[in-house]
Amino acid sequence: MTIIARRLAGHAARGIVMVFAVATISFFIIRNIPGDPMAARYQKLLEQGMSPEAAERATTVMYGFMPKGTLWEQYTDYIAGLFTFDLGVSVTNPGTPVTEVLGEAAKWTVLPVLAGTLLSFLLGVVMGVYAAVKRTGKLGDLLAISGSLLHGVPQYVLALLMMAIFTTILAVLPAGGTADILFEPGFNAGYIGSLIEHATLPVLTYALASYGGWTLAMKSSVVTVLGDDFILAAELRGLKRSIVFRYVARNAILPLFTILALSLGMLFGGAIFIEKIFNYPGLGFLLLESVTNRDYALMGGAFLLITLAIVVANILADLFYTVIDPRVRSGGEVS
Amino acid sequence: MAHPATAQAPGVRIDGLTVVYRTPAGELPAVRDVSLTLEPGSITGIVGESGSGKSTLALSLLNAVQPPGRIAAGSVEIDGLGDVARFEGERLRKARGAHIGYVFQAAQNSLNPLKTVGKQLLDLGRSHGVDDLRGLVREARELLGRMGLDGARVLDSHQHELSGGMRQRVGIMLALVLNAHLVVLDEPTTALDMITQANILRIVREVHAERGLTTLVITHDIGVVAEVADRLAVMYGGRLVEQGPTREVLGAPSHPYTRGLITAIPRLTGDIDEARALPGRPPTLVTVPKEGCVFRERCALRMDVCDTDDPAAAEHGARVVACHAVKVREHA
Repeated sequence: MTIIARRLAGHAARGIVMVFAVATISFFIIRNIPGDPMAARYQKLLEQGMSPEAAERATTVMYGFMPKGTLWEQYTDYIAGLFTFDLGVSVTNPGTPVTEVLGEAAKWTVLPVLAGTLLSFLLGVVMGVYAAVKRTGKLGDLLAISGSLLHGVPQYVLALLMMAIFTTILAVLPAGGTADILFEPGFNAGYIGSLIEHATLPVLTYALASYGGWTLAMKSSVVTVLGDDFILAAELRGLKRSIVFRYVARNAILPLFTILALSLGMLFGGAIFIEKIFNYPGLGFLLLESVTNRDYALMGGAFLLITLAIVVANILADLFYTVIDPRVRSGGEVS
Repeated sequence: MAHPATAQAPGVRIDGLTVVYRTPAGELPAVRDVSLTLEPGSITGIVGESGSGKSTLALSLLNAVQPPGRIAAGSVEIDGLGDVARFEGERLRKARGAHIGYVFQAAQNSLNPLKTVGKQLLDLGRSHGVDDLRGLVREARELLGRMGLDGARVLDSHQHELSGGMRQRVGIMLALVLNAHLVVLDEPTTALDMITQANILRIVREVHAERGLTTLVITHDIGVVAEVADRLAVMYGGRLVEQGPTREVLGAPSHPYTRGLITAIPRLTGDIDEARALPGRPPTLVTVPKEGCVFRERCALRMDVCDTDDPAAAEHGARVVACHAVKVREHA
């Protein structure tokens, strides 16, 4: 137990450094992007003959706040704010704290992307095992080729195709948004049904886009394990096929958990193309909007959220490994 | 689980066994027309260089030649079982482990890295319909104890927590725990240090005698065979070139290949130059000659007939030798 605690402490320390570094780097990079909307507004008002004080007041009224001080002072303010989870105010949503905007968008990303990731993971793992076991037959070829193809097709192409097929040609699913406005948001069958209906296409597209990668990864992992000596040894000891299969599956799926943990971390980055195409107001959509609108605070907040998620996902993955892989567990004892 | 004495040790008769591997150049034999008898209760050693077909022969005893290989001809009759070369499906699976134990080379990881030895033992018991799993665990602990290990601790360990010598003893335990009386050991001492090698060989000898086994040891190390085997069979290029009682074969080798192998061993005493390496290289699956003697390219006694006729294995007293030159000398 102490090993796990020690590891956890190490991870947490590294994670904090990482978050701090990302906060710093993204702060300075963002401030160096040309085209500050507030400075532009302020300049414009000055040119229109307003006094500096009046121009500043007018800008503040418009955006809810006005940055003051040198870049360095702004930076120290920003970092100090982080300790109280104050990420500043979004200029595209005047007066709304960034944390609130992110929270609202996260609602629309986490569940659909999580569903899509898990769906494609399960499907990919099962198909990968099939592709590996039947690798000399037609079915194996078919699975491997379809995996490569789907893995190669860009998300946005897939999204547009799905959109064309299901909303126009078949016209069975809505083209965008989160739910029909006819329904009262809340815990009622109509609204929930509409939510599911609207989430179907983004989730399916997401699942389809990542399914190929899982299939290929699982296939190669299974093929490797099938060639391991202990599998032949298990067969020569006359173990039942079902038990040998479990030996193969459990050993083959191990490396995939690393990728799964990382993609769960990436989950908070949203699926930019998919959310944009299906007009789904998730984190990816928000990030894209914040960049277009030069909403610095929101951009920084979104980057920070992604970093935090990946750091946490890594820690969870590591803890998870100590549970499922005995070699990792005692690896700590040796050192 | 009692293990009554030698009466249970099965005899094995391998007859005309040919194993081929499918390659781009067609099906090539890795083992060709091999006949070998393992007497009940004996330890037989098979020596040969890498690629001589000795491991393929060992796997044939469990009808476990891996694709793209297959047994193309011949039979493997095991007392109390039948011709395992004809076995398939559940019948084959149940024979493996329960009647024939197979011990892997220690350096090969023959254990599932994610499960403790004990859990894998239970998997083995369940696969073979053992009802008394407690009894099985007790038997395993005793066997491990017999081999000088702390049974309870080993059963609770994962593979990576065990040394090479410990793994090898676990391998032997798993091969014997279901009371198999025919045991195949594939390179049992390769990749172990000298002291552990000696220990493992002592254990093999003792367990063999105590449990009444028929044992086949595959090795490239003549020293190992000299230490444990009653009978010795020498393989070259997929053929059995010489077999006979170990002392006889080592003391007075008949086949020029066996002679070459023995003169190639450096002695502890005397001049290092006395050891002479056999010139040339052993054939691979592709370079094995299609006709004539497989050894002729490296043979000092090569004759015209060797290029065209594959020498048949002929009995010379207790010895079986496949060589034209040996025949000629005897009949001259």
